[in-house]
Amino acid sequence: MTKTKAKILVVDDDVQHVDTVKTLLESVGYSVDYAYLPEKAIEKAKAGPPDLILLDVMFAGPPGPDGVEASRRIHADPALQKVPVIILSGVRKVLDLPFRLQPDDEWMPVKAFLEKPIKPDKLLSEIQKALGK
Amino acid sequence: MKLQTKINIGIIVVFLILGISAAFMTFKWQNDHAIKAAENRVRLYIRAGWQIYNAKIDRIQATLKVLAEDRRLQRVLIDEGNGELMDEVLRELQAIRSDQNMDILNVLDISGRVILRTRHPESRFDRTADDPMLRKVRDEKKACGGTVLLEERRLQAEGADLVELCRRYGGEAVGMMTAAAVPVRRGGRVIGMIQMGNLLNGSVEKVDHIRNSLFENEQYGGKPVGTATVFVRDLRISTNVLREDGTRAIGTRASEEVAERVLRRGLSWTGRALVVNAWYLSQYDPIRDPDGQVIGMLYIGSLEKRYLDQRSRAVFLNLAVVFGGMILAMAVFYLIMRTILSPIRRLHLATRRLSKGDLEHRIQVRSQDEIGELSESFNQMAQQLLEDQQEIQQSHNQLERRNEELRITNRNYMEMLGFVSHELKSPLGSAVLGVYSIKDGYLGPVSDTQQRILTSVAQSLDYLDEMVKHYLDLSRLEKGELKVNRRMIKLNQEIVVPSLQGLMPSLEDKQMRIENRVPNDVLLCCDPHLMRIVFENLLSNAIKYGRNEGTIRIESGNGKSAGTDTGQTVLSVMNEGDGIPPDKLNLLFQKFSRIDHPKHAWKKGTGLGLFICREIIEQHGGRISGESEEGKWTRFTLSLPTLGTTS
Repeated sequence: MTKTKAKILVVDDDVQHVDTVKTLLESVGYSVDYAYLPEKAIEKAKAGPPDLILLDVMFAGPPGPDGVEASRRIHADPALQKVPVIILSGVRKVLDLPFRLQPDDEWMPVKAFLEKPIKPDKLLSEIQKALGK
Repeated sequence: MKLQTKINIGIIVVFLILGISAAFMTFKWQNDHAIKAAENRVRLYIRAGWQIYNAKIDRIQATLKVLAEDRRLQRVLIDEGNGELMDEVLRELQAIRSDQNMDILNVLDISGRVILRTRHPESRFDRTADDPMLRKVRDEKKACGGTVLLEERRLQAEGADLVELCRRYGGEAVGMMTAAAVPVRRGGRVIGMIQMGNLLNGSVEKVDHIRNSLFENEQYGGKPVGTATVFVRDLRISTNVLREDGTRAIGTRASEEVAERVLRRGLSWTGRALVVNAWYLSQYDPIRDPDGQVIGMLYIGSLEKRYLDQRSRAVFLNLAVVFGGMILAMAVFYLIMRTILSPIRRLHLATRRLSKGDLEHRIQVRSQDEIGELSESFNQMAQQLLEDQQEIQQSHNQLERRNEELRITNRNYMEMLGFVSHELKSPLGSAVLGVYSIKDGYLGPVSDTQQRILTSVAQSLDYLDEMVKHYLDLSRLEKGELKVNRRMIKLNQEIVVPSLQGLMPSLEDKQMRIENRVPNDVLLCCDPHLMRIVFENLLSNAIKYGRNEGTIRIESGNGKSAGTDTGQTVLSVMNEGDGIPPDKLNLLFQKFSRIDHPKHAWKKGTGLGLFICREIIEQHGGRISGESEEGKWTRFTLSLPTLGTTS
C-alpha cells in the first residue's frame, strides 16, 4: 500500500455482488473499478489498465461476449497481456461445460477459478496470490 | 403315444381275441358237427342199403309164392314117380331161374329132401337139414327170406362150378346166398317147399346196386365217394372197394376190431375206417341167417376226405366271415374314432396356437356332446384370455402414460429445482461474502452480540450453499446429464489434497486433525470433477459429524488381496464421532435420507450427499459402503475399478 493502491476491475452483472466486493476490497485498501457488462469491462480495461480483473462468466441481458471471451479480448491487447484474471462465478466449475478448465490449460492469465459463494478470507488470499505478493 | 393309436391298439387286441375265440368255437363246432353229421349220414346210407338188400329177397319171395300155386309143381311133389311131368316142370323152372338170374332154384319135399334141382338136375334127393331157412319154413309153415351160408358139401350138391366160384372169389368154399323159401300147399296141407337164391360170392350186382342207388357211382379225387361190401364172416366176397390196381378188393378181410364187434358181439360198428387204402366213414352191420346167427357183415362207407374237405371249406368260410367282419368292424370303428377324435385334435392345435399367443383363434363347434362342450369352454376361455389381455394391455398403457407423465413432472420439477437453485447462487454469493466480511471484521469492529448473530446467519448461509449445490447435482443426475469423462489421475494430488485445502477453514474451526495416508502413487481412472464432488461430500460429512478435536483419517490403495491384484482402487474416509447405528447405515445412500440421531438433530442436511456419491460411484462401476462403531467412529469406503472398467 505504500505504492499506489493496486487497482482491481470487478466485472459482474449482479449489482449487490459488485457492491459487496467493492466495499470489502476498498476496506482492505484496494482501489476498485467495476463494470456490469463485459463490453464495458473491455472498454474500461483499455482506458486504464487494472492490476487485476475479477471476472464473472455468465451474464444476463442482451447477447454479447461472456466472461471468458471478454478475458480473451482484453488479453489480446498487448498492453493488457500480463493483467492477471481471477474468475469468480456462480458456475459450478467442475460440472458446467465449457468451463472445465484444466490446470495445465494454455490460458495462463487466469490465475484462479473461484466459485460463488466465496468467503472474504479465501477471496483476499487468492487476490494477493494473483498479484504476486 | 397318441390317443387314437392307443384306442386302435386296444380295439385290435379286443377284436383279435374275439375273432380268435369265434374262429376256435366255429372250428370246434364244425368239427364235431361235421363228424356227427357224417356218421348220421352213414347210418342213413346203411339203412337204405338194407332196404335195397331186403327188397331183392322180397322179390324172390314174391316170385316163389306165385310158383307155389302152380298145380304141376304141386303134383310133382305128390307124384314123384311121374318122370314126364318132372322133366316138364324142371324145364319150366330152369327157364324161370335163368330169367330171374338166380343161382339156385330147388323144389324140396317136406322133409327137406331135394326133389328138383334146376341148376344140377342129376344131384337129387340130398337132404338140406342144416339150412336154417328151410328148417324155418318147414317148422313154421310159412315163407322165409334172408341170407344163408352154404357149406362146401351143399355147394358141391348145388353144382361143382359154385365151389370153384367161391374159391375164386375169396379162397374159401363157403357161399353166402340171399334167398327165400316158401311152403307149397295142397288143400291146406304143406306138401313141400321151393327155394330160390342168389350167391353173393363174386357177384357185384347187389353191392353195385346199393352203391349206385346211394352214391350214383360218384368219384372224388380219384376215389369212389361211396362203397358197399358184403362179408362172409370177415371175408370180402362182394365189394366195389377197389385195390390200387383198380380191381375189386374181393378176398381181403375186415380189421380185427370190426370183426370182434360185429361178428362176435353182433353189434354195429360206426366210425372212420381205413378201407384198403382210403379212409371212409363207415358202418358195418351184422348179416344174420334166419336163425339169428351172425354169418357176415354189410358195410357201407362214405369217403371221409369229402367230409374233411367240406369241413375245411366250411371252417375256412367261417374264418373268412369272422375275420372279414372283424376287419370291417375295425375299419368302421376307426372311422368313428376319427370322427370323435378329430375335434380333440382340432382342440389340441387350437390350444397350441393359443399358447403361442394367437388369442383370436376359435374352434368351430360342430357337435353337442362333451367334446362340443369342451370346445365351447375353450372358446370361452380364449375369449376371456383375449379380454383379460386387452384389459391388461389397457392398464399397462395407462400405467405407461401415467409413468410418462410422472417422468415429465419429475423432469419439470428437477429442471425447476435446478433453475431455482442456480438463481439462488448469485444472491447467496453476495450474502455470504457480505456476512463473512462483517463477521470476520473486515468492515470494522463487531460486538460479541453482533458476532453471535452473524455466526448464526453465516451457518444458515453455509447450509443454504450446501443445499443449492446438492439440488443442482441432483437435478443433473435425475436429468441424466452426468457423463463420466475418464482419465488417469493421481488420487492424492488431484483429488484429496485440493479438497482438503478447500475445507481447511471448517477443519480448523473444529480443531480437527487430518491424517492423510494416501500414497502419492495411487492411480485411478475416473472423472476427476465427479470424483471431487464425491470426495468433498465424504469429507464434509466427516467434518460435520466428526467430534471436535477428533481425527479424520484418509486411506487408499490399489486393492491387493492375498498377493493378487483385484484391479480395484479403494479410498476411505474415517472420522471419530458418535457413529451411526448399523441398521441405519444402508439407509444413508437413499435419496433424502436423514437419520434421526438425537445428537445430530441440530445439524441440517439435505439428505442428498451420499445418494449423489453412490450415483456417481455406480456410474464409475464401483461400490460405496459405510461402516460404523457407535460412539466411536464412522467410515465410508469407495471401491472402484482402477483401470476404469470392471474387467
